[in-house]
Amino acid sequence: MKAKLKGAQTGHSLLKRKSEALTKRFRVIVQKIDEAKKKMGKIMQTASFSLAEVNYITGDISYQVQENAKNAQLRVRTKQENVSGVMLPAFENYMEGGNAFELTGLGRGGQQVQKCKETYIKAVETLVELASLQTAFVILDEVIKVTNRRVNAIEHVIIPKIENTIKYIISELDEQDREEFFRLKKVQANKKKTQAASDKEKADLDVSDQDGIGKTVDILRVADDEDIIF
Amino acid sequence: MEFLYFNVNDGFLEGIVRGYKSAILNQTNYLNLTQCETLEDLKLQLSATDYGNFLSNEPSPLATSTIAEKATEKLVSEFKYVRSNAVEPLSTFLDYLTYAYMIDNVILLITGTLHERDTHELIERCHPLGVFDSMAALCVATNVAELYDTVLIETPLAPYFKNCLSANDLDEMNIEIIRNTLYKAYLEDFYRYCKQLDGTTGEIMSEILEFEADRRTINITINSLNTELSRDDRRKLFPALGRLYPDVQDKLLRADDAEQVKTAVEIWVEYRQFFETSVTSAETKTLEDRFFEYEVHLNKLTFQQQFHYAIFYAFLKLKEQEIRNVLWIAECISQGQKDRINNYIPIF
Amino acid sequence: MAIQQKDRNFLAVIGDEDSVTGLLLAGIGHVNSQQKKNFLVVDAKTPLSKIEETFLEFTKRKDIAIILINQHLADLIRPLVDDYDQAYPTVLEIPSKDHPYDPEKDSVLKRVQRIFGE
Repeated sequence: MKAKLKGAQTGHSLLKRKSEALTKRFRVIVQKIDEAKKKMGKIMQTASFSLAEVNYITGDISYQVQENAKNAQLRVRTKQENVSGVMLPAFENYMEGGNAFELTGLGRGGQQVQKCKETYIKAVETLVELASLQTAFVILDEVIKVTNRRVNAIEHVIIPKIENTIKYIISELDEQDREEFFRLKKVQANKKKTQAASDKEKADLDVSDQDGIGKTVDILRVADDEDIIF
Repeated sequence: MEFLYFNVNDGFLEGIVRGYKSAILNQTNYLNLTQCETLEDLKLQLSATDYGNFLSNEPSPLATSTIAEKATEKLVSEFKYVRSNAVEPLSTFLDYLTYAYMIDNVILLITGTLHERDTHELIERCHPLGVFDSMAALCVATNVAELYDTVLIETPLAPYFKNCLSANDLDEMNIEIIRNTLYKAYLEDFYRYCKQLDGTTGEIMSEILEFEADRRTINITINSLNTELSRDDRRKLFPALGRLYPDVQDKLLRADDAEQVKTAVEIWVEYRQFFETSVTSAETKTLEDRFFEYEVHLNKLTFQQQFHYAIFYAFLKLKEQEIRNVLWIAECISQGQKDRINNYIPIF
Repeated sequence: MAIQQKDRNFLAVIGDEDSVTGLLLAGIGHVNSQQKKNFLVVDAKTPLSKIEETFLEFTKRKDIAIILINQHLADLIRPLVDDYDQAYPTVLEIPSKDHPYDPEKDSVLKRVQRIFGE
């Protein structure tokens, strides 16, 4: 039982440490998210402005672009990062396949289109980064909640329970002890009684013995008594 | 002799167009526009110009796209007015102007049909100047072959299609190549048409169209550098007119980088200045900006002469540039990019 | 779960015309074999139900890793976005051209603030 308690306590301290590590990470991520969101605001603005430039020179290309979309050139893959046993995702973008809009704006504004494309790719990179942070945030949030719940469970339920059990066992043992003690005492008392009884008998015997002795003494004493005239 | 008879048919319209022209925003207007802090201010400033209260019915959070839309609407209505009052041969000339927009629309429709889009939605997106009668019939066409057989054949663009594309091509070729092929055919045809018109019109228009052709040639070359577009394909897209045709075009075909394009084009003094800074430094004016500037310059020159049709073309182009300018300023204001606001191309 | 995430390769976007155009230009557009697109252009005429439907569809798809949505559109379907708490796919609110970014409204940032009790 004691071992169980010890296990629970180690578990508790471990989990607590885990939750602390996660919370630390969590705070870092939250801070990063905050920064990234602000950065995103700016970068998206630049991006949409570059689109405005394209519109200025080439005219409206949105429909063409929408219709030309067939295969994603920019994709993401997921990497995992291990933080105290929690798998955190990290998205990473990569390019696949050729440029679908190479010829867009061939007659007019092609350069602007390409420039705009690059700006947007950069913007997407930021977005992807932000997305990984955010996913990490959601997962961590969840994990921290679970861990905290466990920590609290251990702290407030399991450990007290075990402690209670131990206390009960101890008290029970004490009780047993006391009983035993009492029993022993009782036995002793009994023994004593019998002893006493036998003692008494003995004593009686002794007493008679003693009387004999006394008499003996007395006998000696008697010597002082009147002389015996022969 | 042309001066004698010009006013009989076209004098009224020329007057109208010159009137429209004087309504084009001038430097002071632009200065006021660039000072605006919000789009509401811009709206107020615009209402003091010839645009009047074209935005007055718009709900308050004003989008830049609405401004562009309304301004285009105004231009279209002006153009339509001129068109409906025109007689031969001016009406044909004006029709030619709309073909350019028609090409864009047709391309849009082809793209849409290829992807099985709702054609009603497509028609809404078409440029109003490029609307043609049979466009409604497009709703019926469901695949490209049908589209080609029933609709495109009916349009004024049919000869352009006939010469360079078959129904099969429409399915397979890159849509941008189709667009540029059509545009090339259109430019050549328009050029021919202008040449056969009488003196002044032909003279001025050919100068403008030659520039347009050269601009396309240069643009196509630069934009297709480092792409999969082969040299032969590139050649097919070059319009067969303009100052660069044919010698410089050959040189351009062999060009592999912007520097070689520059050397090839430099033999023309007018074009040399475009490349002075534009290719190397991106920050100052871009090549496109310089092209626009030169185009505006050419278009402005047309108003120096009387009794010809080129002013109609010039008016349309200048007005378009103006819409672009206003849109640019509006974008700058709405996106808080004030430092770039002066990148518009002043007209007058 | 790890295997599932390997298949998530795409970004999806719900946005106004300009945002979608820009992002597609960057090359995120994808049309799969069932002609399902991973983007939705929302204009003044798009019904709310369509946005909701698409949002739900994107969140259920197995090949999407990140959903980008314009903030002003997320506002329209705010309850849906706020209720969404799965890690995959991630929903990211992005600013649009005409609507500057407002961190106050972001569902994730709201959670951040709730946690820190600010």
